[in-house]
Amino acid sequence: MNETPLWASESFWKKTAIWVTAGSFLILVVLTMDSLSKTSAGSKRVPAYNVINKKIDYQLNKELHKSMPVIGENEFLFGKEYTEEEARQLVDLGKKTTQAKNCMNCHTLLGNGAYYAPDLTKAWLDKGWISKETREDMMVKFLMDPENNARTFGSNRKMPNLNITEQEAKAIVAFLKWMSSIDTNGFPSNFKTIEAEE
Amino acid sequence: MIEPVALQDFFITFFSSALIILAGASYALLFAWSKVNPNFRIKIAAYVSYAVLILSVVELTQAAHFQGYWLIISLAMVIGYFFAPIGIWHLCVKTHAKSTP
Amino acid sequence: MNTSGLNGVIQQAAALSDKSRLYLNNFKAWVQLDSSHLSDGRQLAVKYFTVAVILFFAQILFGLLAAMQFIFPGFLYEILDFSVNRMIHINAMVVWMLYGFIGCVYWFIEEESGTEIVGLKLGNIAFWVLTGAVTLVVLVYLLVQIGPGKDSSLWFINEGREYIEAPRWADIGIVVVMLIFFYNVVATFSKGKWSGIAGVLTLDLVALAGLYTAGMFYMTNISHDQYWWWWVIHLWVEATWEVLVGVIMAWSLMKLLAVRRKIVETWLYIEVALMFGSGILGLGHHYFWIGTPEYWLTVGGFFSALEPIPLVAMVVHAVYDSGAHAFKNGNHPALAWIIAQAFGNFFGAGVWGFMHTLPQINIFTHGTQWSASHGHLAFFGAYATINIAFFYLAIQQWRGNVWMGGGSQNAWRWKWALGLLNGGVLGMTIALLIAGYEQSFIERAVEGSTWGGYFTAQNHPSFQSAMVWRLLFGGMTLAGFILLVWDLLTIGKGETRKAPEIVEI
Repeated sequence: MNETPLWASESFWKKTAIWVTAGSFLILVVLTMDSLSKTSAGSKRVPAYNVINKKIDYQLNKELHKSMPVIGENEFLFGKEYTEEEARQLVDLGKKTTQAKNCMNCHTLLGNGAYYAPDLTKAWLDKGWISKETREDMMVKFLMDPENNARTFGSNRKMPNLNITEQEAKAIVAFLKWMSSIDTNGFPSNFKTIEAEE
Repeated sequence: MIEPVALQDFFITFFSSALIILAGASYALLFAWSKVNPNFRIKIAAYVSYAVLILSVVELTQAAHFQGYWLIISLAMVIGYFFAPIGIWHLCVKTHAKSTP
Repeated sequence: MNTSGLNGVIQQAAALSDKSRLYLNNFKAWVQLDSSHLSDGRQLAVKYFTVAVILFFAQILFGLLAAMQFIFPGFLYEILDFSVNRMIHINAMVVWMLYGFIGCVYWFIEEESGTEIVGLKLGNIAFWVLTGAVTLVVLVYLLVQIGPGKDSSLWFINEGREYIEAPRWADIGIVVVMLIFFYNVVATFSKGKWSGIAGVLTLDLVALAGLYTAGMFYMTNISHDQYWWWWVIHLWVEATWEVLVGVIMAWSLMKLLAVRRKIVETWLYIEVALMFGSGILGLGHHYFWIGTPEYWLTVGGFFSALEPIPLVAMVVHAVYDSGAHAFKNGNHPALAWIIAQAFGNFFGAGVWGFMHTLPQINIFTHGTQWSASHGHLAFFGAYATINIAFFYLAIQQWRGNVWMGGGSQNAWRWKWALGLLNGGVLGMTIALLIAGYEQSFIERAVEGSTWGGYFTAQNHPSFQSAMVWRLLFGGMTLAGFILLVWDLLTIGKGETRKAPEIVEI
């Protein structure tokens, strides 16, 4: 009978499997180190937490063919200028609260999560907050008592009361403002912000 | 870097992507079958499937605005899906052969 | 007064426990399963299978509740909100599949290694610890649900990260139980004999447990958070789980269809090379929009286009096998579910995955019901089916290796269960596909993903009716599940013919 050629032998494929796996994993590790450094807070793609002191917008960049976050002049959150450390603490509390309240199992964040409630990636910039003057106040009130400040857009779907304190609500707003400044490669596409002229 | 699909091309994008996988599998299936059962018609059907695959790749390439190195993906699919079933068939034959002790 | 009240309670409790014992005994008498047919190791395996089936039920139940809330938003509002139901729906799925996989490994490890499980007692303790922990976690999900924005909430209530919501204490517990499982696998193979299957299994389990720890850290930076989160989810589901299923399949093919070990193991290596080769860097398709650099668009797109290659390989191989030898098989339900796996995996992971994965279109489909559509068919097709096939293999042995091939009594039950479950999941998949298509169109492309756009899409008649269809097909899935459990409990009862001996070809 004919011999099994090398390329069909068990030992060849055993070695191939090991090399392919190890090679792919090595590439992944290298890319991971690069990605983590390029997305650390304070990098070009993911701004430092004190970006919450600035005006943030999201506009189509015609040259790059995609929408990009635009960081503007000072625009304090709740009328206060935060140091980087204060801002970090506030965003941290906001992020932790979104986890403790299980936001991700109704909403999506950066497009990941569940699909029962709107995406939060650019929630800070959403036109649903009507005007920039009312936005902060409306967001805090909504988070603390969503039932009575419900914004259901005719869907009858209401956010439940999650016992969010005022401090937590403000922190969530800070977290959302910071998140809206992340460069997400143009996701979501075609988004018109609260800043956009009608 | 990427040019998102235009609204009117949504359907063609979903449809051609699905068709690539389906035609690829159908070609693989018919190709393998034509080896088991050497019948001219099965062989023709296999190549028809492959032609559908090429058409779908062309459609997808246009709808998704592939340019520059994105064309590597189109090329990889055209070449990969043609040769993968042939290679795998040979592997099947050789690995199943009873080797002399 | 006080003591008599207490006595009353004790008496009631005693009466209740007597009654439940009676029911349990009646149930045991009815199913007529004789555990003396199984080795001690396999008795541990069927414990895992039993809990897996119970959690499968929880998955369907909470999925139905969540599906109902899409149609009646007031249903269970502020009692069991969508977030709670949805969390239990997906967690029950992840955990039942893991229980199934662990059960499968305990099932074949004694035969594969040629010796008894080394740490059987430890394995039994680990089973009860894990099951107790899972129960506690679910009770906290149901009764406590949420906590304040503090570390303690993440440690004791839930971590609020989709799929891996389990609180940190449970994470640590899961790792400990996995280490015990891992010890059992390695020690048993070391005492008995190693094989190619054993080697792949061991390395895969190292990766499986190691990856889980990547999801155990809190990070303020959400880009980093989701970066590591996908390491766990993707590298589990699209890499290590796939290989684990490959191992289980390899062993089954060898034992059921008597394919030679050398062939099976060569193909296992080929599969590992193809799956890890495309799957590890396929991780890139989750890194398009979370803040990570642009090169991921290309890496993700390219490797996603390669991910169907292992599926094509399976198609060719299946045809080759069917031509090479005609199989005689004494377990038709198991074989039917394995065939369902091949189709489900191909359509769910291959076709449904590739349809919306390239970034040019994914920018519109990401975060819509498209993902849910793909998720339903892919998880069911790739993983639920293979577990169910194994349940049938296990029940056959539990009955004393009876005939479960053609001409069996009440074969309609497994056929209908198969049809209803597959039809139900496929129906839900198509309903969600329609919803996702409409969403990507109206919400994403036209309205630019604003909240207003989101709700315009949600209120659209086509979306609404898709949700109704999804619920109906969910009901069909439940009917299939009930029939499946009934069939698993009764199949082969009273069957006297033995399954044929399988000889190598």
